[in-house]
Amino acid sequence: MRSTGRSLGSLVAVAAAAVTLAACSSQGGAQGGGGASGKSYTIAMVTHEAPGDTFWDKIRNGAEQAAKDHGITLKYSNDPDAGNQATLVQNAVSSKVDGIATTLPTPAAIGPAAQKAVQAGIPVVAFNAGKDAYKQYGAGMYFGSDEDLAGQTVGTKIVQQSPGGKTVCVIQEQGQVQLEGRCAGVKKTDPSSEVLYVNGRDLPSVQQTIGAKLQQDRSITDVVTLGADIALAAQKAVADSGSQAKIATFDLNADVAQQIQNGGINFSVDQQPYVQGYMAVTALWLNLTNGNDIGGGGPVLTGPSIVDQSNIGPIVAYTKNNTR
Amino acid sequence: MTDTIAEHAAADLKKGASLVEMEGVGKAYGAIRALEGVNLRVNAGEVTCVLGDNGAGKSTLIKIISGLHPHSEGSLTVDGREVHFSSPREALDSGIATVYQDLAVVGLMEVWRNFFLGSEMRKGRYPMAPLDIKGMREIADRELQKMGIHVKDINQPIGTLSGGQRQCVAIARAVYFGARVLILDEPTAALGVKQSGVVLKYTAAARDAGLGVVFITHNPHHAYLVGDHFIILKLGRRVLDKKRSEVTLEELTAEMAGGQELAELSHELKR
Amino acid sequence: MARTLGRPEVGALVAAIAIFCFFYAIAPPFRTLPAIATVLYSSSTIGIVAVGVALLMIGGEFDLSAGVSVISAALAAAMITFQFSLNMWVGVIVSLVVALAIGFINGYLVMRTGIPSFLITLSTFFVLQGLNLGVTKLVTGTVATPNVSQLDGFGSAHAIFASDVNLGFATVKVTVLWWLLFVVVGTWLLLRTRTGNWITASGGNQASARAVGVPVPKVKIGLFMGVAFLAWFLGMHLLFNFNTVQSGLGVGNEFIYIIASVVGGALLTGGYGSAVGSALGAVIFGMTTQGIVYAGWDPNWFKTFLGVMLLMAVLVNLYVKNYAAGRK
Repeated sequence: MRSTGRSLGSLVAVAAAAVTLAACSSQGGAQGGGGASGKSYTIAMVTHEAPGDTFWDKIRNGAEQAAKDHGITLKYSNDPDAGNQATLVQNAVSSKVDGIATTLPTPAAIGPAAQKAVQAGIPVVAFNAGKDAYKQYGAGMYFGSDEDLAGQTVGTKIVQQSPGGKTVCVIQEQGQVQLEGRCAGVKKTDPSSEVLYVNGRDLPSVQQTIGAKLQQDRSITDVVTLGADIALAAQKAVADSGSQAKIATFDLNADVAQQIQNGGINFSVDQQPYVQGYMAVTALWLNLTNGNDIGGGGPVLTGPSIVDQSNIGPIVAYTKNNTR
Repeated sequence: MTDTIAEHAAADLKKGASLVEMEGVGKAYGAIRALEGVNLRVNAGEVTCVLGDNGAGKSTLIKIISGLHPHSEGSLTVDGREVHFSSPREALDSGIATVYQDLAVVGLMEVWRNFFLGSEMRKGRYPMAPLDIKGMREIADRELQKMGIHVKDINQPIGTLSGGQRQCVAIARAVYFGARVLILDEPTAALGVKQSGVVLKYTAAARDAGLGVVFITHNPHHAYLVGDHFIILKLGRRVLDKKRSEVTLEELTAEMAGGQELAELSHELKR
Repeated sequence: MARTLGRPEVGALVAAIAIFCFFYAIAPPFRTLPAIATVLYSSSTIGIVAVGVALLMIGGEFDLSAGVSVISAALAAAMITFQFSLNMWVGVIVSLVVALAIGFINGYLVMRTGIPSFLITLSTFFVLQGLNLGVTKLVTGTVATPNVSQLDGFGSAHAIFASDVNLGFATVKVTVLWWLLFVVVGTWLLLRTRTGNWITASGGNQASARAVGVPVPKVKIGLFMGVAFLAWFLGMHLLFNFNTVQSGLGVGNEFIYIIASVVGGALLTGGYGSAVGSALGAVIFGMTTQGIVYAGWDPNWFKTFLGVMLLMAVLVNLYVKNYAAGRK
C-alpha cells in the first residue's frame, strides 16, 4: 500500500509539473485552486476494452484512483466494437456528464460522437488511442503513447543488442490498428523483423504457433510480443523449441516484471496505462475546476518507458499492486 | 410365421383374457381437453382398432397407454391392477410396447442395435460393462429370419430398409422382448399397398400368437382387415364403439368420413 | 470394405493424410519430430474438449459454453486455492465439482425446458463470461488470477496436467497422451457400451429412443457433464502451464471444438459421428494452423489459408462419404 501511495505521490507531482509547464497565466497551485469550488463532478470514461484484459484493468485502476483523489464520480463503460463505443459516448452526452474521457481506436467512428459532446459544452479528453485524430474532433488533450515511436524504440534496442539478428513480431489480433502500428514501428528500425499472427484468446495456441515459427526459422534471435500474457506464452515456446531467442514485450504485469528481474525476458516497453487513466480523469478535473489545458496543445506521451534489468527493482512491487 | 411369433409370445396369454382396460379416461392439457370419457378394452388375441381423424385424440390415447403422458381422469387397469404410468419404461415393464409410425426406429443405427435398443445384452452387470455385440448380432439375425423378415445385412443402418420392413423389425423387437400388449400407431400410414400388406399380415400374426393389439389408424379398410373391435374418436370423444359382428366396413367408412354430418352436408349440396 | 468406408471418420482420415502430405512436401521444418510434437500439442488442446463435444453432438445437442467453461474451471481452481492458501489439489477438485455443476445445469435446463441447447448454452456462455470477469475482479481485484506456481501441490498438478513427456524418440506435452486416452475411452464408450447405444439413439431419434425405454434425459445430462469434465481438464492444463489465467480468454473456442467434430464426420443434426473423427478434425485444424507457419507463408493471408484448408477437408470428407455410399 505504501508503494502505491508513493507512486501516486510521484504521479501527482508529474501532474503538477505538467500543469506548471503548460501554465498559461495561472499562478501555480492548481490543486488548491481546483478544490475550492467544492462541486462534485461526474466524468464518463469510455474505452474499447475487450473485457478481461489486465492492461485495461490498469487504465481503469488509474482512473478510479484519480476519481477518488478528486472526489469525482466515475462512470466507466466499454465496448470493443467501434459503433457500440460511439453509442456509449453518445449515452454519456445524453446523461449530461461534466466531462468525457474516451479512447479513439477508430477515430472516424467514435470521433463524431466526441465532437457532439464538445459542441454540447462537455470537455473531452482522448487517451490511449487516437493521437493523430483527437484534435480534429475537438478533444482538448491526449494522453497516450505513440505506437510507432514505441515500436521504433524496441527495434533500435534490439538492433543494438543483437546486430544482424532476425526478429519476429507477434500480433495477437490480426488487423488491430494499434498492434499493427507497433510492429510497423519495429520494422522501421529493425528491417529484419517479420510479423506473426496468433490467436490471443487461446494461450496454448499462441505458445504452439510461436513454437512452430521458431522451429521453422532457426535464425530468429528476438521475439517481440505486444502484450504481457503473450510474452509469457512466448517464453514457454522459446524454451520448448530449444531456441536461444530473446523476448522483448510491450506492457508489464507482475510475472513479466519477475521474468525481467530473473533475466527470462529481455526488456519491456511500458506505455504506463495507469498514468493514462489517471491523467485523463485528472486533466478533465483540472480543466473543469481550473481551466487548465495540459500538453500545450500537443499530445502528452505516457511512453515508451523502457523497463529492463537495470531499473526493474522497484517496479516489481508496483506491478503487484496492479498499477504498472 | 405365426408359429415363430407364438414361440416368443409370453406363455401365460389366454385368448380373450382382458389385458388393458380404460374406464372413462380423459386428459387435459391446461384448459384444453384432448380426450375425455374413453372406455377401451384390449383382450389377448384380439385387435382393437382405434380410428379417428387428425386431432381426434388418437395420439393422446397412445401417450397415456405407453406411459409418455399420464392420464388426468378415469382409470387405467393392466392385468387387473390399476396403474398410472410416469415413464415409457414403466409401461414396457408391464408388457406394453408401442411402435410409432415414423419414430419406430433410429434410422442411422444398425439393424441389430435398433433391435436391442433399450434392452441391450451386456457382458457383465457393472455400469460400463461392454456390450455382447456378437451375441446380439446373432440373435437379431436369427430372430428376424425366423419371423420372416429378410434383411441383407444385420449391420446395415436400419434407414436403408423399406418402411414396411422397419415397422416389422420394430414389431418383432417388441414381441421378442415379451410384449403382451402391442400398440401400433398408424403403422400403415406412410406405406404403399404392398408394404401395408406386409405390416397387416404381421399384425394378424401377433394377434394369433395371443398378444393384445391396439391398432391405431385413420384407414377403415386396413382396420377392418384385422380388427375385432372398433372405436372411433372424434374431438376427444368416443362416437362409435362396436364389435366386428355389429358393424360393417361401409358403416365404419361412413362414420370415418363424417357420418351424420356428411349426410347433412350431402343433403344441403344436393342439386 | 464397404463397412470400413462407411465409418464417419473415413473422410476426415483421407483429408488429414492429404493435408499432412501437402505440408510435408512444401514445408521442410514440418518434417522434423519437434514440429510433429508441436502439431500434436496444438491438436490435443483442441481435441480434448472436442471428444466430449463430438459425443454431445452425436447425442443431438450443442454446447456453446464449452470454450468459456475451460476458463471458468481454471479461474475457480486458482482463486479458491490462492485465496484460502490451500493445497493446489483442493482447488483442482473443487473446480471439477464446479465444472460438473455447470454441465449438469446445462443438461438439466435443456431437458427440463425443451428449449434447444443452442439457446440454453448460449445463455450459459454469456453468464459464465460475465461471472469469469466479475468474480475474478471481485476476488483478486484484477482481471487475472494470481500466480499459483508457489503453492503446495503445484508440482504434482503440473506433472499431471502440463508436463513434457519424453517418449525416447520425441518429447511431447502430456496433454497429447491424455487426449489419446480420452479418444480411446470415447470410442469405446460409443461403440462398445450400452451408454454409447443410448447416446446415438438419443441424438438419432429422441422420441423412439424414449419409447423403447432409453433414459434420454440422463444420457444427455451425462453428455453435458462429459463436456464439462473435459473443459475442466483443459482448464487445468491452462492453469498449470501458464501459472495464471486471464479471465477474458477462451471465447470463440467452442466453435473450434464443433468444427473439429463436424470435420470429423459428426452430423449437425445428431445421431451420427465418432470420437476418432473429432480427433482427426483436431489434427486437421492443428496441422493447418501450424503448417501455415512452418511453410512460412505471408501471415496476412493466414485466416484465408485456414478457411480454404478447412473447406477442402470438408469437401474431401463429403466426397469420400458419397463414394462409400455409392459402393453399397
